[in-house]
Amino acid sequence: MNRKSLMKLWGMPLLFVVLLIGCSDEETGSDDGNTSGDNPYNISIMTTAHTPEPPTDDSPALQALEEYTNTDLDITFVPNSNYEERFNITLASGELPHILLAADKSPSFIGAVEDGAFWDLTDYVGEYENLSQMNDIVVNNSSIDGKIYGIYRARPLGRMAVTIRQDWLNNLNLETPETIDDFYNVLKAFSEDDPDGNGQDDTTGMIVSEYDGPWDIMQTWFGVPNKWGEDEEGNLQPHFMTDEYREALDFFKKLYDEELVNEDFAVMDSGKWHDAFIDGKAGVIVDVADAAARNRNKMVESDPSMEDAVDVFGAVEGPNGLFNLPTTGYSGLFAISKTAVKTEEELKKVLEFLDKLNTEEGQTLATNGVEGLHYEIEDGEYVMTTDQEKLYEFQDLNQLLMFIPEDRFLVEKQTELDMKEKEVIAANEDIAVANPAEPLISEVYSQRGQQLDNIIKDARIKYIVGQIDEQGLDEAETLWKTSGGDEYIEEINKLYEEIQ
Amino acid sequence: MHKMHNTPAGRVFDVFNHLFLLLIAIGTFIPFVYVIAGSFATEAELARRAFFLIPENITLDAYKYIFSTNTFIRSIGVSIFVTIAGTIVSLALSLTMAYPLSRKGLTGRTLLLNLVIFTMVFNGGMIPTYMIVKSLGLLDSLWALILPVAINPFYLIIIKSFFQNMPDELEEAAKIDGCSEIGIFWRIILPLSKPVIATFTLFYAVFYWNDFFNALLYISDSSKWPVQLLLQQLVMIANVDFGNMDTLLSEPPEESLKMAVIVVATIPILVFYPFLQKHFAKGVLLGSVKG
Amino acid sequence: MANLKTEQSVKVHTLPINKMTLWERLKKDRFLYVLLLPGIIYFALFKYLPMWGTLMAFKDYSPFLGFWASDWVGLEHFKNFFSNPDFFRLLRNTLILALYDIVFFFPAPIILSLLINEIRITIYKRSIQTFVYVPHFMSWVIIASISYVFLTTSGGVINEVVSFFTGKEISFLSSPEWFRPVIIGQVIWKETGWGTVIFLAALASVSPEQYEAAIVDGAGRFRRMWHVTLPALKSTIIILLILRLGNFLDQGFQQIYLMTNSLNREVADVFDTYVYFMGITQGAFSYSAAVGLFKAVVGIILIYGTNYFAKKIGEEGLF
Repeated sequence: MNRKSLMKLWGMPLLFVVLLIGCSDEETGSDDGNTSGDNPYNISIMTTAHTPEPPTDDSPALQALEEYTNTDLDITFVPNSNYEERFNITLASGELPHILLAADKSPSFIGAVEDGAFWDLTDYVGEYENLSQMNDIVVNNSSIDGKIYGIYRARPLGRMAVTIRQDWLNNLNLETPETIDDFYNVLKAFSEDDPDGNGQDDTTGMIVSEYDGPWDIMQTWFGVPNKWGEDEEGNLQPHFMTDEYREALDFFKKLYDEELVNEDFAVMDSGKWHDAFIDGKAGVIVDVADAAARNRNKMVESDPSMEDAVDVFGAVEGPNGLFNLPTTGYSGLFAISKTAVKTEEELKKVLEFLDKLNTEEGQTLATNGVEGLHYEIEDGEYVMTTDQEKLYEFQDLNQLLMFIPEDRFLVEKQTELDMKEKEVIAANEDIAVANPAEPLISEVYSQRGQQLDNIIKDARIKYIVGQIDEQGLDEAETLWKTSGGDEYIEEINKLYEEIQ
Repeated sequence: MHKMHNTPAGRVFDVFNHLFLLLIAIGTFIPFVYVIAGSFATEAELARRAFFLIPENITLDAYKYIFSTNTFIRSIGVSIFVTIAGTIVSLALSLTMAYPLSRKGLTGRTLLLNLVIFTMVFNGGMIPTYMIVKSLGLLDSLWALILPVAINPFYLIIIKSFFQNMPDELEEAAKIDGCSEIGIFWRIILPLSKPVIATFTLFYAVFYWNDFFNALLYISDSSKWPVQLLLQQLVMIANVDFGNMDTLLSEPPEESLKMAVIVVATIPILVFYPFLQKHFAKGVLLGSVKG
Repeated sequence: MANLKTEQSVKVHTLPINKMTLWERLKKDRFLYVLLLPGIIYFALFKYLPMWGTLMAFKDYSPFLGFWASDWVGLEHFKNFFSNPDFFRLLRNTLILALYDIVFFFPAPIILSLLINEIRITIYKRSIQTFVYVPHFMSWVIIASISYVFLTTSGGVINEVVSFFTGKEISFLSSPEWFRPVIIGQVIWKETGWGTVIFLAALASVSPEQYEAAIVDGAGRFRRMWHVTLPALKSTIIILLILRLGNFLDQGFQQIYLMTNSLNREVADVFDTYVYFMGITQGAFSYSAAVGLFKAVVGIILIYGTNYFAKKIGEEGLF
């Protein structure tokens, strides 16, 4: 706010009653959308913001994007941290924008879909050059009972990976692990054989925090299904009822008993998770691929010789083959509202716009901004501006992008590790274990899901730290079944049959 | 405050009391020192040392980042406006409403008090309130951060009970002197309520300064975001669930930045306190009755 | 002066209040009603007009359809809530934590105020006040993080001290029996200093003469605290206690959420965290409105109950 408008506010009388009568400038956001060929087409959008200052109408990058797509965009950027509240309020207000980002398949989004708030896009996307090339796994994950109600914003499916101290491997004459046994041996050596050569027993193999993602990732190596898997008869069964799951848990318990993971992992503040790795006290972190370079950069900050100390790999092979736990592959869905987009003709205009955002030029404008202003190409390399004001002019525009079928924007010069991360992510897609139940919307889960999940998660942690034994796991499974699990299994199988 | 003879037992008590409170003060303040120290430390140091009060290598990177654009300064301006205007509105409404409610003879008083108490436990929630704000045309206006929360019923009740505890003789005496009701409120009650006014100035000011949720609901125009919402933007990115993949598009802010954000958000409201403090200590009430 | 005053006041009130007609009474206090008006408008507009939201508890509210188009479901959400197999565990955890809060946290600011009030060096007193109120501004995320650093069994400072003296470490963060003490300890650390502000304001109304009179009577330090200072705080304490009971079942969601883990969940789950998680999987509106209504009813019963009790023992109460 500039000084002038601040003055204006100050000048306003503080009398309550006056205020109520005064200052009611109605929202002038109503746009009927001029459908004539050449004029820019009005599109209102609500999406997330990650920066403190999202682009405004004066942003040259936004203007260039509008020109390129021949649209007049009215974007509402909502802070990502509490997007869900604004999403619900927008639904309740009755004034939906043309394009509304649903952060995930939340109950209120699904409810609104069931109440007919959004267009079913299943039969339309095939007509567009980029949108027709959506990834099948991600389409399946993001669909609601098999139908497409929103264009997903793609994120890497194969993002889960292992970050490891390459220099420690070198010191101990070890290879990058390829099997679960190798992995165990490496952890053992990292814990016991003084990998940093300082003569002290001050290292741990792997560091885990109270965030239990690493256990999910590692159990997948054993062949445990991603939440649901088919049994011999083709019925879906929950992952923890498989033999592989018990096998994985025994392995975890062994790691804990032999002190190859940090003893306090169950309570460790997840904000401090990576500290021990950065500090050279732990050699392995099972998390996301991009954590490797991030941690490496922090290590280099205090010790430049660490440039090549970190490596990343996707997964290790278990007794049943090579598997990796994928992500859902998307972050949010662009749904098109029926109240703002009334006709099929308008719908096609909006889809055309979304399609165009996926082209190389669209992605570049929204990710990199305008050449000469926000970036330069020097010796064939992309160099981003360092002026924070300029960065804010385009940074949040990437929240409009779907990256379908692939990333097509400019990236800064890549280090070896950056490129390795990308290779790992690509390779992981081939060994991804999809969740067959992801598109299914379960009534039981919506009512009891969190409690059911906690029963299993808590039992796993308690088993690892030795608070319960095999019998305790059985009891947890029984409790899960009687707390609504049996109905859940039945319902999921029924829904699964319906979409087959 | 009260100068008086001290017994030996009293002196022993004094020594222990002073020491004890010193320890408490240290215990409450040290973690904040850590946050300040952390805001000047490098990432590597924050990863290596769990807790420290003086960083080994001092870096201003976090503050440079915060102050690199005028966004931050602007949002501080918004927050200062909302805090000052909001506190004035809230105090005016709360004091004027609390005074009649403290008068026992007032017809309808009990009904009104019951209605106020009812709202302390029952409320319509986020969506209905949003609808009201919207229909009043307050969306994207800073008044939306003030008017819907202008009276805190808890504070209202406490102010009322403070008024109620004032000796009745005061008013009787004022009436004899020919004071009108307005005169009693303005010339007698308010001047004698300085400690109460100071307290609730602080409470309302802190509330307005810390609030970000209303801005999130009602303010779309990012040039009107108050500083807490801005800081929320900077900090929350680091706290996203690990399943949320948007960390990929924006690097999580560094630990030191999170701490610097707390420092810059807290210092302004912290330095405000000592200015109010001197009003707490005025034991004028009973004395004035006698005079 | 005393005599004159009584004569005059008889003149002012020519009729006893209860003999006046309603109109006369309203007219006499017209200025007071003018003062009330803005506040009444505020409560009508921003508190009572949105009150229909509480009825969501009896509907299957869908924001998109709006309130009227959503289906009425009667008491279904309440049935789900009360018949939940975890209901009694949640109730027990919530009640115990709330009791801990009243018993251990509520008196803390009072005691601290009394101690601060005994300091006679103004600058020392004000500095102490300022320092103790700083933690109020720390976020729970930071506090949880600092708690981990101090309390972990892998080199936490407090556990180092504990094991130095006892030779054993204490799993503060993972053992269920330590969960509640840790939570209350954090609350005491964060909010005690802030809580003293209101008591110190109340103490401002104690006149020095009262202390002087007590000294003349030969009262020592502790008797002065007991007979002069504490009574001055009494009505504030009672009001705050009654108000606190109105929110008896509310707990700091964020704090508890951050301190919960797989090993202490059985004691950590409370209504507030439960509703949050239900919101994630179920869409919060109607269900959390139902739980909110339940908590509100408990709160209002406690408010009126304690208020009644306070009046019975001769206190002012809320009204």
